[in-house]
Amino acid sequence: MKIRFKLNGREIEAEVEPNTLLLNLLREHLHLTGAKYGCGIGECGACTVLLDGEPILSCLTLAVEVDGREITTIEGLARDGELHPLQRAFLEEGAVQCGFCTPGMILTAKALLDENPNPSEEEIREYLKGNLCRCTGYVNIVKAVKRAAEEMAR
Amino acid sequence: MRQSFRFIGRSTPRMDGVAKVTGREIYASDIYLPDMLYARVLKSPYPHARVKHIDVSGAERLGAVVVTYRDVPDVVYCPRLVSTPEATYKDWRVLTGKPLYVGDPIAAVAAESEELAQRALEAIEVEFEVLEPSFDPLESMRPGKPLLHERIRYMGEEVEVENNIACTMEIEQGDVERGFEEADVVLEREYRTNRRYHCQLEPKTAVVRPEPGGGVTIWTTTQSIHNTRLLIHEIFGIPVGKINVVKTALGGAFGSSIQTNIVVPIAVALALKARKPVRLAYTREEDLHEHCAYQMIFRLKLGARRDGRLTAGSLEAILDIGAHQIQAYPLLGCLVGWWVSLYKLPNLRYVGKAVYTNKVPSCAMRGYGNPQITWAVESLMDELAEELGLDPLEFKLLNHVGLGDLFWGQGPTVKSIIKSSGVEELVRRGARLIGWDKRPKPGAQRGRYRRGIGFGRGFHTSSAGAPVPGTVVDYTGAMLKVNEDGTLDYVTAMMDCGGGTLTAHAKIIAEEIGVPLECVNIVRADTQTTLYDVCTHASRGVYAGGAAALQVAREVKRKLLELAARVLDAYPHALKIRPDEERGQGVIYVEGVEGREITIGELASMARHKNWGTIAAVASVRQGSCPPHFTAYFVEVEVDTETGKVRPIRVVAGADVGRVINPKLAEGQIHGGFAMGWSMALLEDTPYDPRSGDLLNKGFITDYKLPTARDLPPLEDFQVFFVETEEPTGPFGAKGLGEGALNPVAGAIANAIYNAIGVRFYELPITPDKILKALKGGERR
Ligand code: FES
Ligand code: FES
Repeated sequence: MKIRFKLNGREIEAEVEPNTLLLNLLREHLHLTGAKYGCGIGECGACTVLLDGEPILSCLTLAVEVDGREITTIEGLARDGELHPLQRAFLEEGAVQCGFCTPGMILTAKALLDENPNPSEEEIREYLKGNLCRCTGYVNIVKAVKRAAEEMAR
Repeated sequence: MRQSFRFIGRSTPRMDGVAKVTGREIYASDIYLPDMLYARVLKSPYPHARVKHIDVSGAERLGAVVVTYRDVPDVVYCPRLVSTPEATYKDWRVLTGKPLYVGDPIAAVAAESEELAQRALEAIEVEFEVLEPSFDPLESMRPGKPLLHERIRYMGEEVEVENNIACTMEIEQGDVERGFEEADVVLEREYRTNRRYHCQLEPKTAVVRPEPGGGVTIWTTTQSIHNTRLLIHEIFGIPVGKINVVKTALGGAFGSSIQTNIVVPIAVALALKARKPVRLAYTREEDLHEHCAYQMIFRLKLGARRDGRLTAGSLEAILDIGAHQIQAYPLLGCLVGWWVSLYKLPNLRYVGKAVYTNKVPSCAMRGYGNPQITWAVESLMDELAEELGLDPLEFKLLNHVGLGDLFWGQGPTVKSIIKSSGVEELVRRGARLIGWDKRPKPGAQRGRYRRGIGFGRGFHTSSAGAPVPGTVVDYTGAMLKVNEDGTLDYVTAMMDCGGGTLTAHAKIIAEEIGVPLECVNIVRADTQTTLYDVCTHASRGVYAGGAAALQVAREVKRKLLELAARVLDAYPHALKIRPDEERGQGVIYVEGVEGREITIGELASMARHKNWGTIAAVASVRQGSCPPHFTAYFVEVEVDTETGKVRPIRVVAGADVGRVINPKLAEGQIHGGFAMGWSMALLEDTPYDPRSGDLLNKGFITDYKLPTARDLPPLEDFQVFFVETEEPTGPFGAKGLGEGALNPVAGAIANAIYNAIGVRFYELPITPDKILKALKGGERR
């Protein structure tokens, strides 16, 4: 079937099967490998992308469901070569180790900051609880989200 | 006198960071090739069985390419190539007709889509003869139990396996009986660790492309591209030069890819048969059936005199290794090494046994047995101190292995003398920061919520270097060349598992030569274009890999100064190099003589025009030492006596990693180490269902408890500090960190729980169930 949707600001048309997963569409057919496969069944958050600004697990989402809607992946976050404040903060705070959780983590954090520009530490931890990171113990990740929030408030 | 550095010791973002935050970094699992086939693996549903009959015609009719245990080379191998043949037993085949655990690969298919591959897999018919399994090492060792392996290979010969014992090691020093007689207090306890799973976020993956001329190109999750190459050569006989393993980013490993993961030889077999690229990417469920950490049973005994001196120790260790050896023998050696390098034991005895069981094969996991034994020792030392009426801090400091002592970095064959130690200051400063003096008396609290403070200390080796060869391979190659604009290409086979290893190398190079950090370009490399590096493991990335980077930097600097001396009409030893951020490169100048200078780019261009050749250096470096990096953890916990839940309240963590190269990333290692230790102590385990023989969680991480962002202490209550020492053998004085960051955590937590509720636990993880049961029983043990 043919679907149309906005992907990182660009109109896209794709031919998919009714059972094609969004994650596979992005990674295999559209060559956007920023969203990662970590479990395939909604346990880790590595495949998180934004659907109309809301974080969703692309491993549990059918490609047909995004027809007519808007998807943002990590590749679409930096605009015109400028890193998003969250991306900068993740870099500066050492919130990235192996980096496999990073795309999902940053996009989830973006949804949080869009919803709540000044979250408390507790709120950050609560919001990120569906995104597993095995490397950082989340410390520098939480710091980075706080820092980005402060920067964006300026 | 403290030297001042430009890059060392300052926090700089990791050099692969922009790629990682923009989703542009390429991991092995991100490789999709044109005309590629998707592979799936047929795995045993039984923990112990023999394939009586296998029919793959159904799969082939669907158009799939199929390989079974009958089609792969008849080679028995060991997938881990870090230790030498003297320390290696071999019991693996690419696919097997006698599966030894639920999930053991029997056959594999490749087809044009994942779906088709799955259908083909389901069309394979197998008839099994089911054999009796054993899931417990003690049971497995009982005479008469069916053997998992009747014969295994050692140094080219077949050896018989007795009672499922894979290998053993015994060591005795001094007179243990006399030592215990001299003691005023002797304590003996049995400890059981959990069977943890690495849960690196990237599941194991291999993509293999057959090349014209009989070679293969391989992208895979690995901590060692060169060992992967050597293993594929050993199994398939492809000339080494025709096997190219490409470096990619790695989505965590924590030891699970020191060995070549099974996906690699399976994908190679399929790709060779299909003559097409093959991608074999494990699902999370499959990954949970691929590897786990070593589960250990210790019988530990320590004796001490009233004055606090340890007189003797004995340790019996039984390792439940699962179905195969991933160099379990060197681990038996490392285990005794970790044990004797914590506290001085004038008399000691050690017996280690690695035992086969019908479970997922175990491999190294961050700390390589050190977190397990340190948990036991730190618990027993705490108990012993209490019996002796001593402060555990003083008791441990009095007996600790420190400056000038002999350190066993990787077991009995890899030892060196300790030349830097910040242990004393780590303990004293940490105690002050947590308020050690004010901690409660164990078991004195009543209310529902009880708090306690625990202390654990430890270390890990930095590399497996030593003054003599030993039985562990440990060296690293590096190449550095100067480009015509003054930038540098740095080429290394070493992997960065996420610690920022290669960024540290770049900083070492920039510091040594005197160029802006951005000038150092870390080259995307592969086995064909790099010198051998053994592996990114053993916390060796900065200490051993960095030493190779430093050596090529020195050599390049020497050459630069020599050429510049000609051009500037000065003496090489009178020249200096400074990083010029404005010009974006290094500038060579004559100190004190105005205007006599040249940029590295101008010099390199001149070298080209005058045909002087490329300014470059190559080195292959072996460290002659394996210095321990030290850590100390003080942890405050709160136990809810109604639910049995434990909450972290405060953490103070100190580390002596020699010179700190990149503070923020170094802190990150400690944060991650604590999180992993927290769940080791309280959450993680992979129990088996004795009826099905499969993992109880069936491979789902929902049922495998990892800490989330909510479960860890708030930012302001997690304090990290470094005690900087200068390790004379390390690059700019640096040592390792990755594993020491974890090793003492579980011990500190166990001691904190004891301090809170007055109960000791001898089995990990310390679950709410166990806590409630113990509190109900009112027992102290
Ligand atoms: S891959 Fe989607 S949640 Fe793990
Ligand atoms: S950085 Fe490795 S999983 Fe988060």
